[in-house]
Amino acid sequence: MAEEKMLTGCSAAAQAAKLAEVEVICSYPIRPYTAIMMELVKMVANGELDAEFVYGEGEHAQLSVVLGASACGARAYTGSAGVGVAYAFELYSPMAGGRYPVQMAVADRTLDPPGDFGSEHTDAMMVRDQGWLMGWACTPQEVFDNTLLGYRIGEDPRVMLPQMMCQDGYFISHIADKVKLADPAQVREFLPPYKAPHPLSITCPVSHGPQIRPDQGAPMDAQRAQVFLDVPKVIKEATADFNRIFKRTYDPFLEKYKLEDAEIAFFIQGAHANTCRQTVDALRKQGVKAGMARLRWVRPWPTHEIAAALGHVKAVGAVETSTSYGGAMRGGNLIHELRATLYDLDDRPLVTSFMAGLGGETVWPEDFQFMAKVLLQMAKEKQARRYVYWIGFEGE
Amino acid sequence: MTKKLPEYGTINVPHERSVPFGAVTPAPVDTQKLFITSNWRIVRPVIDHEKCTRCLTCYICCPDSCWSYNEKEDMMEWRTEYCKGCQLCIKECPSDALTAVPELDFEDGVVRLEKPF
Repeated sequence: MAEEKMLTGCSAAAQAAKLAEVEVICSYPIRPYTAIMMELVKMVANGELDAEFVYGEGEHAQLSVVLGASACGARAYTGSAGVGVAYAFELYSPMAGGRYPVQMAVADRTLDPPGDFGSEHTDAMMVRDQGWLMGWACTPQEVFDNTLLGYRIGEDPRVMLPQMMCQDGYFISHIADKVKLADPAQVREFLPPYKAPHPLSITCPVSHGPQIRPDQGAPMDAQRAQVFLDVPKVIKEATADFNRIFKRTYDPFLEKYKLEDAEIAFFIQGAHANTCRQTVDALRKQGVKAGMARLRWVRPWPTHEIAAALGHVKAVGAVETSTSYGGAMRGGNLIHELRATLYDLDDRPLVTSFMAGLGGETVWPEDFQFMAKVLLQMAKEKQARRYVYWIGFEGE
Repeated sequence: MTKKLPEYGTINVPHERSVPFGAVTPAPVDTQKLFITSNWRIVRPVIDHEKCTRCLTCYICCPDSCWSYNEKEDMMEWRTEYCKGCQLCIKECPSDALTAVPELDFEDGVVRLEKPF
């Protein structure tokens, strides 16, 4: 029987990495993700996990080390947060283009300035166009599950892509919750060993990351884009297998909470969905037909699934925990893709966005109540007055 | 009821234009003319065979495999056409057998080529 324990998001990630039998780990400290590496290094020292633990001299080195490890055929694991995610930036595209299915755990943190340590999705969101798979968890349990799911999907021969598995810093990474662990036998059934298609080898020498010519650039990009056409199928298969083996009930792409008859809906990712869900319940008690769609994957973006889930709603509010300064809506990132996703519907919902939880601020139930008020007004007036509302700065 | 949304379509890269998976290619087991890089060089390592102990440190540390050991002659050999002049071998040589000498001091110095490689 799988054990149940009280674990923080960081501990849950480490436990899952251990069960995935990662072979090479490269660390560099930055809070809040550091706790994952603190757990893993203990496991290696105690002989619970047979892995090579490398101390990187920075995040750029961390990703370089795991790239090399993956090229040799090892299952590799690394992670970072905030500005650390930024320092590693050069490696993201070559890692995806070279098709190295390493996993990077991110416990989201703000960038500098203000460098206030708080949770914010901007660090990972800026990597969204580099060809990585990106998933967001909203509980330590989901962190544990997504770690295993990430490897399974990323290492699928049809995919072979690195995965950035994100959790909100502090709200998930440092708050303990009940986590149902897994038996090694279950994990072995779900996650076959990693097999690199062309590993670095002395007997069969290959060149990784060679210079290509300009006329090879376009086909390379097209091939990288093509992979993402196949990924949703693999995510669906892997999630179905995961649900069967570990007895869970995940929807592959979206958590759809009370959406069937919803008139207003929140569109959200990450930890604040927990408060959002509670507020949806409270709103329902007040007679408001509210619902919530929570993104489990940002890359690949589940376009058709979102359109199907939200098409009938009158007003949708994207709850943004990342910034896109000067972007089309002058707010966050989610609204751009949400609006684009809904554009082709005949009778599309009105869409606005709420900047909330920036700098690590808590998004309180009252904040969601305020958002609901705005959404209800939009639905009543049949128009969106504004693209973006900044929670905490919207006086009556 | 919602209407049918556009599809992503398929991307068909014709076979003759396709790039190997992850751009991984069989490693060249011999030198490749396309990647001659000696024209980057401003200095070259010159070896003092008296001082050299054949420890093979230069062979190990050269990023471009420019040093090899000639067993018959019992001496280290340097390949000119791929040495970028990075001087790693000079720095690493434990017996001080290597010296950086400017390309201009040589008749065949790469800076004197009519056109670069």
